[in-house]
Amino acid sequence: MNGRAALVAISLGVPLAIGSAQQKRDPMSGMDHMQGMKHDSAGMPIPMPRGMPMIPGLIGLVPSGGTFVPGGGIDPARLPLAKPSQLLRLADGDTIDLTAMLVRRRIKGHEFAMYGFNGEVPGPLIRVPQNATIIARFHNRIDLPSAVHWHGVRLDNRSDGAPGVTQEPVAPGGSYVYRVHFPDAGIYWYHPHVREDVEQAMGLFGNMIVDSPDADYYGPANSEHALMLDDLLINADTLVPFGADGPDFALMGRVGNVLLTNGEPSYALHVRRGEVARFYLTNAASSRTYNLSFGGAQMKVIASDQSRFEHEELVPSVVLAPAERYVVDVRFARAGRYAIVNAVQAINHYKGEFEPEVDTLGFVTVDAAPVRADYGRAFATMRVNSAVTKDVDRYRGYFDKPPDKELTLTVQTTGLALATVQFMTIDTAYYAPVEWIDGMPDMNWLSTSKEVRWILRDDATGKENMDIDWHVARGSVVKLRLFNDPKSFHPMQHPIHLHGQRMLVIARDGVPTRNQVWKDTALIPVGSTVDLLIDASNPGDWMLHCHIAEHLGAGMMTVLHVDR
Amino acid sequence: MIGVRQLSLMFAVPLLIAAGPYDIPLFSTPKAPRASGSARLVFAQSPFGISVTADGRAQYDVQVAVSGLPSPSSLGAFRAYVAWAATPDLQRWDRLGPIANGTTTVGHVTLNKFLLVITAEPDSAPRSHAGPTVLHGTSPSGWLQSFLNHPMFRGITG
Ligand SMILES: [Cu+2]
Repeated sequence: MNGRAALVAISLGVPLAIGSAQQKRDPMSGMDHMQGMKHDSAGMPIPMPRGMPMIPGLIGLVPSGGTFVPGGGIDPARLPLAKPSQLLRLADGDTIDLTAMLVRRRIKGHEFAMYGFNGEVPGPLIRVPQNATIIARFHNRIDLPSAVHWHGVRLDNRSDGAPGVTQEPVAPGGSYVYRVHFPDAGIYWYHPHVREDVEQAMGLFGNMIVDSPDADYYGPANSEHALMLDDLLINADTLVPFGADGPDFALMGRVGNVLLTNGEPSYALHVRRGEVARFYLTNAASSRTYNLSFGGAQMKVIASDQSRFEHEELVPSVVLAPAERYVVDVRFARAGRYAIVNAVQAINHYKGEFEPEVDTLGFVTVDAAPVRADYGRAFATMRVNSAVTKDVDRYRGYFDKPPDKELTLTVQTTGLALATVQFMTIDTAYYAPVEWIDGMPDMNWLSTSKEVRWILRDDATGKENMDIDWHVARGSVVKLRLFNDPKSFHPMQHPIHLHGQRMLVIARDGVPTRNQVWKDTALIPVGSTVDLLIDASNPGDWMLHCHIAEHLGAGMMTVLHVDR
Repeated sequence: MIGVRQLSLMFAVPLLIAAGPYDIPLFSTPKAPRASGSARLVFAQSPFGISVTADGRAQYDVQVAVSGLPSPSSLGAFRAYVAWAATPDLQRWDRLGPIANGTTTVGHVTLNKFLLVITAEPDSAPRSHAGPTVLHGTSPSGWLQSFLNHPMFRGITG
């Protein structure tokens, strides 16, 4: 008997306590659930990590609800091959057409029917000057309703692309016109806000770089590269199907087993010795948090979602939760080959041990020939961005005020398979603040948005998710305290995203942040209390939600109304 | 087969985990029986939402709150109390910094699992630990060390 089977046996024999009052007390739910399962072999088997057997009580079960695959099983050979992202330099007043469509992608020797914008994965890289406004005509040519959300952009509410809040979903065959204004320099991205767990995972995302009129906004760099990080879950040679009625993998999110950079499993870049390469990094994955480094090359973090940092810092790695962006400069001082790796400490739930997990995203090859313009000295200088400090100074007086709103992040489950419940119960011995990989994909797969409800709960009223009716006046400076309850049934980190505004992470676990940057997405680790200061200057109805696509699909969202 | 009654018990009893994932209860030793305290792990400062090393180990500062520590000199030729993070096999000891009664923040810890040990030392920056242990605790991640540390087996009964 392996270790895990032994644990399950213990849990069956002992009247176990359950990890949370949030768990619905429905003793028969597991049994009912098993009997009610539809059996559909399309999704089996779920790939498991090395050395992790499937949980005995779960073998043979499949998620509730039917399955969905893009294109409805269409032969990928009939579809156009996806193209790499093309740069679209746009000026104020320009119009673009953005078409969501089916494409063929070749990944690890297999061909899949997936999605792309304008046939590209990632979609076109839109590069605009700060303060430009563009018209984007969106055409939905995929087999699901869709829309486009312009993530992080403080634009007019009508163009936010949040179905159910600012517009109706665009039906297959339909179109919608967005007017996108870019008030802040930085790195942004666009993606659908409809079934993100499917549409984004299948390739519907693209970057936007907004350039400051100040040519010296960032320090000098020899080259610039936009990297969209993403992962994909495949079986031996098929995509693992998606839930038809709502997301599956609702506990932890659909964590892929193939890591992709700009849609490809292997990224390659050639630079010269001494080159300073600027990377615009975006985490477009549904659920995975990255810890990225460039083969030990020196790395400097200079900006994040919506602005530069107050001051630049050298960092050993860059951590990106879903939807977060960072701008980093990397100097490749010596010739050779540098592996770009995502390195984390996974937890082997069977052995109760941490195990290093290293995925290589690609390589940077550094030529022996030196770079023509050597920016080594500028790279070694940590710039101080006094304009950011001056801007933040206007808000510092609010840092110590009591929170205007306190939200607890938690979860409620019902009808999960009995083995899942028992397993989770035992697992409450310890939860990592960030669960880097999915150690238990089989039970994760069986949890759908029917069984799992992720919750933002207003501590003051007890109201949850969309029942929270939160209005603030335009121009308010709002302090929001988020507590990620570690005693819930299955605590997880949550990257919380606020549409249409900007915010500062002013404190984590009571410790003030020392280097400010304007953000639209902030990671809330398990057990942590994070204070956000929101500059609520943009009127409208704005979504506040977890950016793990499956958590969003399982209810973890509310709306902040910024009244005129 | 598991009975309905047993299942009801499973769901009816709230699990009383001793502390959140960031808290470490500290236990005293016979050297300082009146000492007591706890520690809280907070992420070290970082430009990101969390602080980790390049290989993904969490990087914490430790807020140590203690009371009842006697004067170090009452235990021998000692002048300071020092906090250490030791690997579970006690092969590696990382000095975190001096502490005193009250709340002190020391750091950084970058071990996946560790014991938090407070010893009396001749000075506040000793190269290695030598004096007697007065308080100790286990990082929450250390609960994974043994299934016997599951809350169920730590005094929580149905
Ligand atoms: Cu979440």
